[in-house]
Amino acid sequence: MSATLIEQGTQEPGFKRNYLNTDHTIKSWLLTVDHKRIGVLYLIAVTFFFFLGSIAAAMIRYELTSPHGILLSSEVYNKTFSAHGILMVFQFLVVAIPAVLGNFLLPIMIGARDMAFPRLNLLSWYMFMVGGSLILLSFAMGGVDAGWTFYVPLSTISQTQISICLVGIFITGFSSIFTAVNFIATIHKMRAPGMTWFRLPLYVWSHYSTALVILLGTPVVAITLFLVVVERTFGFGVFSAELGGDPVLFQHLFWFYSHPAVYIMILPAFGVISEIITCFSRRPIFGYKFIAFSSLAIAFLGFLVWGHHMFISSQSVFQGVIFSLISFILAVPSAIKVFNWTATMYKGSVHFSTPMLYALGFLGLFIIGGLTGLFLASLDTDVHLTGTYFIVAHFHYVMVGGTILAYLGGIHFWWPKMFGRTYSETWGRLSAIVIFAGFNITFFPQFMVGYLGMPRRYHYYYTEPSWQFYHILSTAGSTVLGVGFLMPAIYLTYSLFKGKPCGPNPWGAKGLEWEHCDSPPITENFAEPILVMDNVYNYDPAADSAKYENEEVDMLGGRS
Amino acid sequence: MAHDTTHDHDLSPGGAHSHHILPQGTIFLVFGALMTLMVITIGAAFLVPEPLHSNTFFMQTLAIGIAVIKAYLVVTYFMGVKMATRLVKIFAIGGFVWFFTLFIMFADYLTRPYEPVPGWENVPSSALPRATVKDPE
Amino acid sequence: MAHAHPAHEGPEVYFQYESLDQQQESYTLGMWAFLVTEVMFFGALFLIYTLYRMKFHEDFFLAHEQLNWKMGGLNTVILLTSSMTVALAVHFAQKGKKAAQLTCLGVTLLCAFGFLVVKTWEYGAKGDHHLYPNWTFSYGHEEGKEHKVKSFWDDTLPQALHIEKKEMHGNPERAKLFFSIYFTLTGLHGLHVVIGIIAITSLMILIWRNSSLITDYVPTELVGLYWHFVDLVWIFLYPLLYLIPR
Repeated sequence: MSATLIEQGTQEPGFKRNYLNTDHTIKSWLLTVDHKRIGVLYLIAVTFFFFLGSIAAAMIRYELTSPHGILLSSEVYNKTFSAHGILMVFQFLVVAIPAVLGNFLLPIMIGARDMAFPRLNLLSWYMFMVGGSLILLSFAMGGVDAGWTFYVPLSTISQTQISICLVGIFITGFSSIFTAVNFIATIHKMRAPGMTWFRLPLYVWSHYSTALVILLGTPVVAITLFLVVVERTFGFGVFSAELGGDPVLFQHLFWFYSHPAVYIMILPAFGVISEIITCFSRRPIFGYKFIAFSSLAIAFLGFLVWGHHMFISSQSVFQGVIFSLISFILAVPSAIKVFNWTATMYKGSVHFSTPMLYALGFLGLFIIGGLTGLFLASLDTDVHLTGTYFIVAHFHYVMVGGTILAYLGGIHFWWPKMFGRTYSETWGRLSAIVIFAGFNITFFPQFMVGYLGMPRRYHYYYTEPSWQFYHILSTAGSTVLGVGFLMPAIYLTYSLFKGKPCGPNPWGAKGLEWEHCDSPPITENFAEPILVMDNVYNYDPAADSAKYENEEVDMLGGRS
Repeated sequence: MAHDTTHDHDLSPGGAHSHHILPQGTIFLVFGALMTLMVITIGAAFLVPEPLHSNTFFMQTLAIGIAVIKAYLVVTYFMGVKMATRLVKIFAIGGFVWFFTLFIMFADYLTRPYEPVPGWENVPSSALPRATVKDPE
Repeated sequence: MAHAHPAHEGPEVYFQYESLDQQQESYTLGMWAFLVTEVMFFGALFLIYTLYRMKFHEDFFLAHEQLNWKMGGLNTVILLTSSMTVALAVHFAQKGKKAAQLTCLGVTLLCAFGFLVVKTWEYGAKGDHHLYPNWTFSYGHEEGKEHKVKSFWDDTLPQALHIEKKEMHGNPERAKLFFSIYFTLTGLHGLHVVIGIIAITSLMILIWRNSSLITDYVPTELVGLYWHFVDLVWIFLYPLLYLIPR
């Protein structure tokens, strides 16, 4: 690091060392221990997996435009939706925000030079890639047809390549465990002097909660999937009903992780949204401690509601009642966050720039996704709705409308920080609007057709031809959504080469990463040691908006 | 989380790591205790007199109780939790406590026999109501 | 790797840390966080065991009579001893006594191999009794099933050690369930022992060659924590699998 600083003066004027241009060899990227470079590696990897998962989604939507199916045989259809679910859940949603933005920003936000365990961080990227490769290998060898949930006994008797796929998921799971270990040690031990718990950005709080959930939940699903592999490979029968075992036990153990996994996906999104909304409203966040502790409350309560996936899986009615009740309670901390975000905007100086548009889209879609979740948490309506497209629409509203919109918002927010260049604001806003519109056209009809009774994972519905209308609407919307996703891919890539270089703080935002750190940051983040004196989010709506409009790089347009 | 100080280790003078070292005598003492407890476990499994010996609950509680004491000794002394920072203590204890959340699953298995569905009292308790409903047509 | 404090004498402080204390505490905390996941990893298996034990207690009791509590007890002694030697290794590492530290780690390694040898004997005997819970599984006392070939694991060694074979009682399907759980639990535990052997061996080589990766006692302590955890699992496995009360 000291060598870097000395060299800085000897270079041609205007040249600034940063983490991107210290070294350009492939080896320096593949053997890097710099958390920022690892974040970029993850960015490339998850974009790749997201692309593959989207192709599967497009095939599903195309198939469903006809009540008789037009493209895929039933076996291939099963494999297609399985591939979509597995790639999107395990290789994209669970890792997207923590591994890309979390890796990149967490040490900077707390004033550290790197993660606590940089080499472990690199190892988890490699494990992620090995796991992803095995999953893709299983698809190449013929595919997997048990869905992403791998319910036994289907997954133990299926003749497809489930074992390889499960080993891949197992390895990916341990990759995220190592990332979580790293986050926890980093947040606990690496904070700069003066960075107390209540001066941490809410982004860090939500990542801390996420890391706890990963730590406590992932090993359970790892061992469960491992048992399925053992049952397939060696013939052991822990879940086998023939031996007196209980297949429902698999569902218990699976959802013990996989419901909290929903919070692994959404909690980091909450963190991103907290940062964006407070920045573009120019107001300190409303109810900091409530948002911080509601993250922990969600992490805790999220472990106690898994049974609401099993209301019709012959678990006892008594336990169903308990789980239903706790699921309703879980809506409270989520609602606290939403109310606090809206209260933050009230009397703020709101700028409708690209990240803010994504964040507002998140708010709308997450509210719909969350409230329809309450229908599904009620015992009796769930009996009607579960296993239909209603549930598909619900979790897509939470996962796509929640996590992916927050992920894209975060990418747009921190893109100037990550690569030192700005993207086209016009295209950015357009993409946010197109994605929001396309998303709603895709998934809102699915609520309706699901309520009418269209079962999920079916591709024939010729007994009810009237449903074709909803499916065609949905497919049309998914085309719009696909265009919306392609737009950022194009203009963000373009901005890497042709974007206008920006200063350290193009948004006029608060926080260590904006105020004490170059864009892009230098290899060990800070030129000088950090001492935190201020409270977090000390925005002032009146003063800061004026200052912001005089900024040299005006990316944001006028005030609202 | 009650850790308001960033580096709570700063309270201890730097370089004085000697207080972390577990004395040799303690190690041997703990080892002796562990071996004794193991002998007690095996002995109890065969030598407990009859009325108690066929009491499964008692025997199992005894065996697990001894195992918990052994685990306590290993975690506290060998794994150094006794001398560790408060944070490590929280994580160590938290891990073992969290294990018990898994046992919420027993709420399902223990309550399956009495499905409290009004109107279905005469149906055998193990059968789900749905399974016995006649088609209305 | 760049270092913020290259002039520091003694243990090395890596570039991302401010002080040695911070570094050591981070490593310990990270290891404990990982052990929490290990607790949950085995925890799910213990849950499965408890559930089926409660449901099929009688059959599990009858099936467990096929296990040899003496062998399990021997392994308990071996693992407890190795746990003590690892604790001693950490003790000597903190005092900077390299020779004593290496000796203790070596004894631990021997114990680990000893454990695996005993385990192999047990597994071999189970194989000869057709107790692997796969397609070869056969449980009961039909006449035709008696094995004709004299086997080292099944006949020679047991006779030399005066171990008598137990009759097979109880429901064969529940017995298969029991042995599924038995092999999964002990197999995963054995896998952890193998990983521990790899870790201890690497550590010993690095210490032996004065590697720049080992600058203080922390690596030994981390390997020690892992090894104690392996011991911890066995402390519960032994009474649960080998000493099921009637």
